Amino acid sequence: MLNRNAEALFWIGRYMERAENHARLINVHYHLQSEGISAGVLQAGANADANADASPGTMCKWERIVDALGSRSVYEGQHDSYKESDVVHYVTLDRDNPNSLVVCVNHARGNVRTLREKLPSELWDVTNGLYLWLREKGTIDFSRESAHQFFGRIKEWTALFQGVCQSVMPRENEWHFIECGRYLERTENTLRILQSISPHGSITDNKAADEAELVYPLLQAVLKSVSGYQAFRRYYADGVSLDAIIEFLVLNTVFPRSVHYALHAMDEHLRGIELLDKGLRTAHDRIIRQVGKLKAELACLEGEELSLDSEREVTKHLLQSTQQLGITFAGTFFRVGEVSA
Amino acid sequence: MSMAAHSQFHSYDSQSFYDEMFDKESSVRTHYEGVHRLFGRLKPSELAAKHATLQQRMMEEGITFTLYAHNQAEPLERTIPFDYIPRIIPKHEWEEIERGMKQRVTALNAFIRDIYHEGRIIKDGVVPRGMIVGNKYFRPEMAGLDVPQDIYMTASGIDLIRDEKGKYYVLEDNLRTPSGFSYLYKGRSLMSELFPDLYLSSRVADIERSLNVFLSSLRSLAPSGKRDPFIVLLTPGAYNSAYYEHTFLAQQLGIHLVEGRDLVYKDHKIYLRDLRGLRQVDVIYRRLDDEFLDPLAFQPDSLLGVPGLMNAYRAGNVAIANAPGTGVADDKAVYAFVPDMIRYYLAEEPILHNVPTYILARKEDRDYALDNLDQLVVKETSLSGGYGMLIGPAATGKEIAAFADAIRRDPSRYIAQTTMKLSRSPVMMGGAMAPRHIDLRAFVLMGSDAHVIPGGLTRVALTEGSLVVNSSQGGGVKDTWVLSQ
Repeated sequence: MLNRNAEALFWIGRYMERAENHARLINVHYHLQSEGISAGVLQAGANADANADASPGTMCKWERIVDALGSRSVYEGQHDSYKESDVVHYVTLDRDNPNSLVVCVNHARGNVRTLREKLPSELWDVTNGLYLWLREKGTIDFSRESAHQFFGRIKEWTALFQGVCQSVMPRENEWHFIECGRYLERTENTLRILQSISPHGSITDNKAADEAELVYPLLQAVLKSVSGYQAFRRYYADGVSLDAIIEFLVLNTVFPRSVHYALHAMDEHLRGIELLDKGLRTAHDRIIRQVGKLKAELACLEGEELSLDSEREVTKHLLQSTQQLGITFAGTFFRVGEVSA
Repeated sequence: MSMAAHSQFHSYDSQSFYDEMFDKESSVRTHYEGVHRLFGRLKPSELAAKHATLQQRMMEEGITFTLYAHNQAEPLERTIPFDYIPRIIPKHEWEEIERGMKQRVTALNAFIRDIYHEGRIIKDGVVPRGMIVGNKYFRPEMAGLDVPQDIYMTASGIDLIRDEKGKYYVLEDNLRTPSGFSYLYKGRSLMSELFPDLYLSSRVADIERSLNVFLSSLRSLAPSGKRDPFIVLLTPGAYNSAYYEHTFLAQQLGIHLVEGRDLVYKDHKIYLRDLRGLRQVDVIYRRLDDEFLDPLAFQPDSLLGVPGLMNAYRAGNVAIANAPGTGVADDKAVYAFVPDMIRYYLAEEPILHNVPTYILARKEDRDYALDNLDQLVVKETSLSGGYGMLIGPAATGKEIAAFADAIRRDPSRYIAQTTMKLSRSPVMMGGAMAPRHIDLRAFVLMGSDAHVIPGGLTRVALTEGSLVVNSSQGGGVKDTWVLSQ
C-alpha cells in the first residue's frame, strides 16, 4: 500500500467519525432548553459582553458547541457572536470551516475516490451518496423544524458507512487504518466535549438545589451527545453529576465512546497493521509504545484524581497526548508535508 | 385578538365551558398567545406534514398500546392519538396545584399507614370501618407491616379537572400502578422536535430531572439502606396493554425489566435468575396488580407473580413499590373522605377540592341520586379506566333504569358525582381547531420529599362532547407545558 493510501484511509475513518459526532452533538443541543441557565451557573466565557442581545443561556449553549469542536479561535475569527443560526451553519454547511459536516464528508469522499479500486464498491456508494445528499441541502431548507430529521439522517448515513466497513472489508491494513482514524477521532472528541463543559471548572455539583435543577438538563445533554445516557444509568443510577459523568466517559471500559474504550480499540487496530519495511516497523513500534503509555496512564488514573481536578488538568493533558498521537501517526505513516488537518 | 381573523378557529365556541385557550370574550389568554399564533398561521399542508411525521415517529418508536376485545382474532395495536396543540399552565397556577398534590398524597400515605396499623381514623369515627374492611383492595396481609421509609406510594397519579369557572378539582386518585409516564415523556420529545421554535421560546419547565427523582425514590426504599440496590420493574409481560410504558421506564431508569418467571424466592429473599446465576433483588417496582403479585398470598391461579414474594416482603428483604394494599385509598368511595383525611392527619384545609360526591350506601345520598340520575355521573367504586360508568346527561332512559336497578341491588358498589363541565382545549381536527374536553393526570413521586412532575399528562376526549378521556376508551393525549416564568 502506498503511503498516501494509508493516509487517505486514516482520514476516511476520522472524517466519518467526526461527521457522526458533530451530528450527535448538535442534535442534542438543538433541543436543549437552556434559557434558565444563568451565566452565574455556567461560565459564559470571555465573550459574554460582546453579546448583550443574546440571552446568556442561549449563548452558552452554542459557544460550548464550538468549544466541543475545538474551533473557538477559527470561529471567532469569522463571527463576532454566538448566534444560533451562525453556529449551526458554521458546523454543518459552511464550506469555509475545515471541520464542518459538509467539508468532512467531502474530504472522506475525495479520499475514498483515490482508493476506489482498493475498497469495496459499496463504500464508495455510501460516501458518495451522503455527499450528494448533503450538497443538496442549502441553508434555505434547513430550519429548526427539520433539524431533528437532518441530524437523524446524518447518523443513519454514518451508521451505514460503518456497517459496510464492518460487513464487507477484509481485515487487512486498509481496514485497520480506517479504524485507527475512527478511534483516534473518537478519543479526541470525547475529551473535547469534557473540556467544553467546564472550561474553568465552572459547573460544580455543590450548587444549591435550584441550581442543580438548572444544570441537570445540561448534564443530561452531555451524556446524550455521546449516546451514553442509558449506559451511564446502568453504572451510576441516579448519581447524575459532573464528576460521575467525567469518570464514566474517561474510564469506563465497555462503553464504546469512552476514552478508555476508544484508546484500547485504536491500540488493537494499530497492532493489526502489518508492515514489511524495516524502518517503518521501527516507527510503528514507537507509536505503539506511545499509545501504551497513554493506556498505562489511564489504567493508573483514580476516579478521585478526576473529581478533585477542578481545573480539568487531567482531561486537558489527555487531550494533548491524544493530539500528539495524531501527529506521531502522521509522521510515521505519511509523507511529510502531506498531512491534512 | 379576534377569532375571526384566524381561519383555524372559526366556528369555535368557547361559551358554555371553561376554555383553556380562550376567555369568555373569545380573546386568547396571554399564556396561549404563542401557541395560538403558530397554529393560527399553519397551512393545512403543513399540518398534514406534521401529522404524518408524528405518526411515523410513533410507529417507528413503537409508542403503542394494545386493545383487546373478545371478538377479535388479533389484538389491535394502535398509537395513542396525540394532539399537538400543547396544554399550557401558567407558573402561579401550577405552584398551587403542586402544593395541593403534595398535601393530598402526603395525607393519603398517612391514611394507608394508619389503617394498616393503629386505625386511628376509624376509631375516631372519621372514616367508617365498613368502608375499609369491605373494600376489595384492603389487604389484611399488610396489617402491622412496616414498609420502608413509611412510603406506600412511590408513584401516584392524581386526575384533575376544571369546572366552568376554571377551578381545579381532583377527580380521582390512582395509587396502585398509575400509568401514563411514557406518553408524558414521549409527548415532550415529539413536541420539541416537531415545533422546536415554539417549544424553545416558551420556557417550559424541565421534566427530565423528574426521572432521576423517580429513580432516587425507588433506591431509597432498599432494605437496610443498601448503597447500590438492585432494582427491577416487574411487568405482566409483552401482552400487557401498557408494555411500551414498562420498557420505556426500565430503559430510562436503567433498571431491569422482568417478568414473574424471571424471579425466584429462596430463604426469604427474591432473586433474579440471570446468566451469572442468582442475583438478589432489593426493590421491585411492580406494574402488576396486588392480586397477581404472589399466588401463595393472593390469587392462587396467577402465573404472573412470584410465589413467596410476600414472605420475602414481610421478612423485610425486598421492597415493593407501590406497596400492596394502597388500592384501599383509591377506591371511589374512600375518595369522598380525602378532604377529611387532610384535615385529620395534617390539620390543614385541602388546597385542591374534590368533585361533590354522593356515597350511595347512605340512604339520603342514594335517594337524592336515584331521583337525579339524569344529572349525575355514576361510577363503580372499584373500577377504573372509564369502565362501569353512567354519564347521566348523555345516557338513554334505558341505561339510567339499568343503573338504578343495579344501585338498588348493591348500593355500596357505587358512588355518584355531580356532572362536571370539564374544561376544554382546542385540538386539531381535520385541519381546524375544535374544542374537546380534557383532564390532567399529574404524577407525584414520593421519596425523601414529595415531587410533582411539572405538567403531567393531559388527556383528551376526542369525540365531540364526550367526557371520557381514558385511552382505553379512545381518548388522546396532549403535551402539558408548565411555564417556568
